[in-house]
Amino acid sequence: MVHIHDHDAEPYRFSINDHLDLLIEVLKRLDGRSLGAAACVCRKWCAIARNDSLWEHLCFRHVSPPPVGVRPVVSALGGYRRLYMVCVRPVLSRLKRRRIGGESEVVRRVWSQHEVELSLSLFCVEYYERLLVGGGRVAGDSPASSSLKFLCMPVNV
Amino acid sequence: MKRDYQSQYYTVFTGASSSSTSAAGGSGVSDVRADVAGKSKMWVEGKQPEAGYDELLAGVGYEVKSSDMFDVAQKIEHLEGVLGNDDGLSQIASDSVHYNPSDLSSWLESMISELNPIVQQPVVIDDSFVNAADDLQAIAGNAIYPPEAKKQKTSPPSTAASSSTNPNAIVLVDSQENGIRLVHTLMACAEAVQKDEIQLAETLVKQAGILAASQAGAMRKVAAYFAEALARRIYRLYPSSQRDSPAFQDLLQMHFYETCPYLKFAHFTANQAILEAFSGKNKVHVIDFSMKQGMQWPALMQALALRPGGPPTFRLTGIGPPSGDNTDHLQEVGWKLAQLANTIHVEFEYRGYIAESLVDLEPAVLDLRDDEVVAVNSVFEMHQLLARPGAVEKVLSAVKDMKPEILTVVEQEANHNGPVFLERFTESLHYYSTLFDSLESSGGGGDGAVEGGGILPASAQDKIMSEVYLGKQICNVVACEGPDRVERHQTLTQWKTRFESGGFEAVHLGSNAYKQASMLLALFAGGDGYRVEENNGCLMLGWHTRPLITTSAWKIR
Repeated sequence: MVHIHDHDAEPYRFSINDHLDLLIEVLKRLDGRSLGAAACVCRKWCAIARNDSLWEHLCFRHVSPPPVGVRPVVSALGGYRRLYMVCVRPVLSRLKRRRIGGESEVVRRVWSQHEVELSLSLFCVEYYERLLVGGGRVAGDSPASSSLKFLCMPVNV
Repeated sequence: MKRDYQSQYYTVFTGASSSSTSAAGGSGVSDVRADVAGKSKMWVEGKQPEAGYDELLAGVGYEVKSSDMFDVAQKIEHLEGVLGNDDGLSQIASDSVHYNPSDLSSWLESMISELNPIVQQPVVIDDSFVNAADDLQAIAGNAIYPPEAKKQKTSPPSTAASSSTNPNAIVLVDSQENGIRLVHTLMACAEAVQKDEIQLAETLVKQAGILAASQAGAMRKVAAYFAEALARRIYRLYPSSQRDSPAFQDLLQMHFYETCPYLKFAHFTANQAILEAFSGKNKVHVIDFSMKQGMQWPALMQALALRPGGPPTFRLTGIGPPSGDNTDHLQEVGWKLAQLANTIHVEFEYRGYIAESLVDLEPAVLDLRDDEVVAVNSVFEMHQLLARPGAVEKVLSAVKDMKPEILTVVEQEANHNGPVFLERFTESLHYYSTLFDSLESSGGGGDGAVEGGGILPASAQDKIMSEVYLGKQICNVVACEGPDRVERHQTLTQWKTRFESGGFEAVHLGSNAYKQASMLLALFAGGDGYRVEENNGCLMLGWHTRPLITTSAWKIR
């Protein structure tokens, strides 16, 4: 028996990089840590994972009801990725820990309007602080300035 | 040996000074014995002292083993210290059964263990310290400082606790007991200052300094600041009337802002009240009496930017003291705020007014426009006006002329403006102790696993600057008088009376403010200690059970 390999019909290999829309759909469902890790895989993934709309989705996908008109403000103040890193993540985990103290999953909680407002206010204060410190210029990816240090300090559990 | 004990003990009970002990010697003791023996005839039916019991005390009805004498002396001294504590007294007043008082040793033990269960630690008391304690005995009584310390266990003096003047430093290891002693010493010193007994006060303030060094943590710092302030008052080394430059004051306040939630709480709750007063209005104007670095306004601008219906035109007038150096500090802050406003697309207008004091403010110069809604904001500014008679009334009537929709006031919740110095001292000691306590818990470690975005440099500097900020307030309350004493804090009730007689009535801060404040506090390390309380529509932030600052809102009646 002779097996004739048809060279034109190669075995189909699926590469996610050929289907970026699928990749984005997958990334949308990740938590913050995994999204950050995904950005370290390769340059292409880095570019995609840094897309602010992904982080917007991460910040507010569990907000009920979804906030209106927030995007221009957040973008102007530094973007959703920064908002997540600097405010949303610490706020959520601190508040969750105080209430339930059980699960370690940060994501599966519905925010309240108050938590959104508080995070946004803190984010704005942080932007202003960078203005004060930077003498009028705001560096792009500078580390969180001092007024939010308290969010980064270890909390007694 | 036995005789030594007896004479020593005799000294403690009757209050003769230490120098007379050795002079009394044998004859003194035998005299007393004769005396006691005479008295003991009154208790003829009473038992004969058994072997091993001290004869002197047995003569007056107490059975104390001679070997226990030293311990009993110590316990009495300890008990005295504990009794001085108010909590102890209330417990004694309650119905509790104590053991047979004639068995002195165990009776004392039962008392002490009920009141204050701590373990007796070895104590070293230096001789030279004792000699200088004559003055102290005048007030505190001999029980506090027994004259001879040779029989006690010794431990090598710690160099950490040594002061520069006294090489044989006192090592007082039992810090809780010494904490009580420290408070007593400070209070006694304040009383001496009140009564103008300068010599006594001088001695006491030195004791306080030494005792403070043996403490740790918040107690140490508070005591050190208070001791320094008392020393300034005693030696008339008043802090120079030319105050620190506003830039330095702002810097200190910024560190305080970062370390603990008090200022953030103040800003967020005041902003919430202003936001609610501005709802539905298209042109708004905020007049800020406490501009400083403008940290309050970004959050308000952001909330206005995101409110349903879009942001109003936002006008801000900042009032502040002259900068000292040639920079126009108010204007610079305005520029930064304008930049922020531009970023978030809020129409913004800013004007800064320099005024040495709020009394100098004339509403006419503020360019108030008819179509705009005004809010007036004051954070920790009102109490300073109380230093000048009539100033508060003048400012309140100026505020009324501005026709504000709302007046938000944040003040310390304490009465540090009483007419009697000692009362002010006591009040402020409690207040700042609580405040320093809360600072202590909020200080970040900077070590180990960190929560959020990366390891930041240790906030030890922030904490120290915050303590300096508070220390200056302490110094002002204790050491200054007259127009220099500007930290004239008053309680909400007192402010309420003033505002109401000025033609204002209270506006209730809503539940939104309460929820936001609670959430904010939950974010802070040590968040369990902070408490938000609602009091007649005003919000109070406190540490455990003690309210420390109050936000209130007012409108014209």
